[in-house]
Amino acid sequence: MSWSEFFDEYQDPLREATWVTVKLAFSSFGLALLVGVIVVSFRVSPIPPLVRVAGWFVAAFRNTPLLVVLFVALFGLGDLGLVFDFYPTAVVALGLYTGAYMAEVLRSGINAVPRGQAEAGRSIGLGFAQLMRFVVIPQAVRTVIGPIGNLFVANFKNTAVASTISVFELTAQSQRMFNDASAGVWRVLAVISALYLLFLLPAGAVFRRLEARFAIKR
Amino acid sequence: MTGNVLIEELGPRGRRRVRVGTGLATVAAVLVLFWMYGRLDGNGQLEAVRWTDLFDSATLRFLGEGLIATIRAAVTAGVVATVVGFAFALMRLSKSRPVRTLAVGWVELFRALPLLLMIFGVFFIDTSIARGRGGDALLGTFWSVVVALVLYNSAVLSEIFRAGVRSLDSGQSEAAKAVGMTYWQMMFVVVLPQAVRRMVPAIVAQMATLTKDVSLGFVIGYEEFVRRGAGTANFGDTEVTNFQAYVSIGIVYFILVWAMAGLAKRLEQRQSRALKVAAADRDPDQDLDLGAGDTLGAGPA
Repeated sequence: MSWSEFFDEYQDPLREATWVTVKLAFSSFGLALLVGVIVVSFRVSPIPPLVRVAGWFVAAFRNTPLLVVLFVALFGLGDLGLVFDFYPTAVVALGLYTGAYMAEVLRSGINAVPRGQAEAGRSIGLGFAQLMRFVVIPQAVRTVIGPIGNLFVANFKNTAVASTISVFELTAQSQRMFNDASAGVWRVLAVISALYLLFLLPAGAVFRRLEARFAIKR
Repeated sequence: MTGNVLIEELGPRGRRRVRVGTGLATVAAVLVLFWMYGRLDGNGQLEAVRWTDLFDSATLRFLGEGLIATIRAAVTAGVVATVVGFAFALMRLSKSRPVRTLAVGWVELFRALPLLLMIFGVFFIDTSIARGRGGDALLGTFWSVVVALVLYNSAVLSEIFRAGVRSLDSGQSEAAKAVGMTYWQMMFVVVLPQAVRRMVPAIVAQMATLTKDVSLGFVIGYEEFVRRGAGTANFGDTEVTNFQAYVSIGIVYFILVWAMAGLAKRLEQRQSRALKVAAADRDPDQDLDLGAGDTLGAGPA
């Protein structure tokens, strides 16, 4: 099979699969941001049961393989009466998994704000909401841009695991092509890798620049 | 008190709010648990026999072999990846530009690709070569998983080693040069022993991640723990279904990885205490930052 034959045959499936990967990566990352914010707000709250539940959530998802999280979601959510198709299941599982890491990243950002900053805010009479809005969050966000970028890249790569539950994204497409002997294994690997790198290398570069731009020099 | 920046000593009103919040949160948590219990029980997922069948001696042996296969792949890949990663870190610190470029290319490429794709890649390249020669596969599933894990983790570990070298005070290498050591003497006698020791917690944390990632060997039919779990469900006359199988696999995996991550955290705390003491002896104003990162759990990839 020549390169032109290869592209004639696989152009459309590749475009389709790339689109699924990108959709999955962004929607699960959006969910992860939401989950992370909720979990971290529990974790830094003064209410002990919330702190404990958030701690368990983070520990459970960080210490279990994504593959197992995905399988438990696939079979467990159905039993809870929340029946999803494969794709939404993958979004939920990835979102919860990356969300647990997100909560840790956000927590480290909040903890990186020096105590004196919050104390100074209170001493000039800021209420809790004002303190968060004007003092803590602006500083915390700036310190976590780099780690959030790493999570985005890791989450994008982790979408590959969704191929195990019949989501036809890039890695599932690679598996189909690997099984077509005439496509050539090296060519398949090179093409699929290039498609991942097409997104991951710029994403890494963008986050590195943002990080450098907003870094706080302490 | 959790002791983060947001929390101050609460007054009477604040304490009352916390009590009310605690009550509401507890009630909500109990309701959610009851709902989950009701749903699962209604679907018969909590029937005792569905779980006790997992403890049948043949099933336990079957699962145990899977767990051993997981650990075997993790240990093999961990050892090889550490050696290869160390070599690439040395190459990246080398004075020769082509050597450095090669190391940077390796690290950047293999860190950027999904591990699952690499497992597929190694496995299918292996089988296609075997098909071409008309012989047996050279690597098989075990070594395919190990090779892919080594490609990925050696890249990550080489970055960890490099961070360790860079975290050392430049006075260390300057002192080595001042007493007349050659480059290699400086590296192996002064710099690397300290750098590696500093990075032990980060390396242990990466090993926890690697152990999680062995589960991806599932996709090419390596008989590791998760695949054996899948084989346990709906097989023969067992009452075990996918739900029980994967929840149990998850619990065992959790304990294993949680223990490794906990070890990493303990090592890191001990080390940062030791380093602070050393720093205080030398210079009371110096604040040492390890840069090893938070190691509460395993890494994301």
